[in-house]
Amino acid sequence: MSSGGTGEAGRRLVAFRIGRLVLKTILAGLFLFAAIAKLADPAAFTQQIMNYQLVPWPVAACMAVFLPALEFCLGICLLLGRLESGALLWVTILLVAFSGALLSAMVRGLAIDCGCFGRAMETTGTIVPLIRNLGLLAVTAALWFSRRK
Amino acid sequence: MTVWRQAGLILLVALGLAGATAAIHPKRPSFLAPPQDPNEVSLAQTKEWGRSVLWVDARSETEFVAEHIPDAICLNFENWNQQFPKFLDHFNPGQRVVVYCSATSCQLSREIAEKLRTSGVADAHYLEGGWEAWKKGQLEGR
Repeated sequence: MSSGGTGEAGRRLVAFRIGRLVLKTILAGLFLFAAIAKLADPAAFTQQIMNYQLVPWPVAACMAVFLPALEFCLGICLLLGRLESGALLWVTILLVAFSGALLSAMVRGLAIDCGCFGRAMETTGTIVPLIRNLGLLAVTAALWFSRRK
Repeated sequence: MTVWRQAGLILLVALGLAGATAAIHPKRPSFLAPPQDPNEVSLAQTKEWGRSVLWVDARSETEFVAEHIPDAICLNFENWNQQFPKFLDHFNPGQRVVVYCSATSCQLSREIAEKLRTSGVADAHYLEGGWEAWKKGQLEGR
């Protein structure tokens, strides 16, 4: 009886770990893809940031080199399972900031490409990226609350 | 290591990588001002071209409906698939096309002009200062 219970608990633990690993790999993959796509052409990404009409050109240019670099580091950290808590904190901050920018573009009726993946994957409109970001925030929350402290 | 220390360490590494990108990347942006683009045209230049210009409004349809340059076609990333055939109906091969968006800070017109060029519209430009420049020009009687 007790060994059956232990076996069930063991199976649940394995399923939990596999599920967590899958979620983490998906999140890491998305951040790495976004980073590499943007790093391929930071000048074009600067223009995509400018389309939001939120920051002046010099700030957009600095963001265009910094954001992909940060996303790349976060992708690597999540993939390797290193500095995971810090990476999840940054992922949350970025997703909230990106969602805020998308929401502001939506409110102002801007018909822009979100620039989420540079020029690699043009996403017209702001609703789909906003919903995707909310989904990713849910994944990040699941990873945050299930992490080893 | 605490969460904050981890976040700080990640930030330092990212800043290093960003610095390297800014220093050596062949497609790094210009950091002080947008680069000069031969496809950017002034309002005065478009006046010289006269009525031969086909205007493209890259702003949202709401802004377009509220007000636009006479005979302009609304074409942006959101409505591209529906509106591009309509654009082609109005476009004569060899005609100059000028795209505009709301203001200087808006880069959409540059991107739509670029997309038009890659779609076979060779003479596609964008208006310096966008809709704001056009309105100002109208008020000043230019």
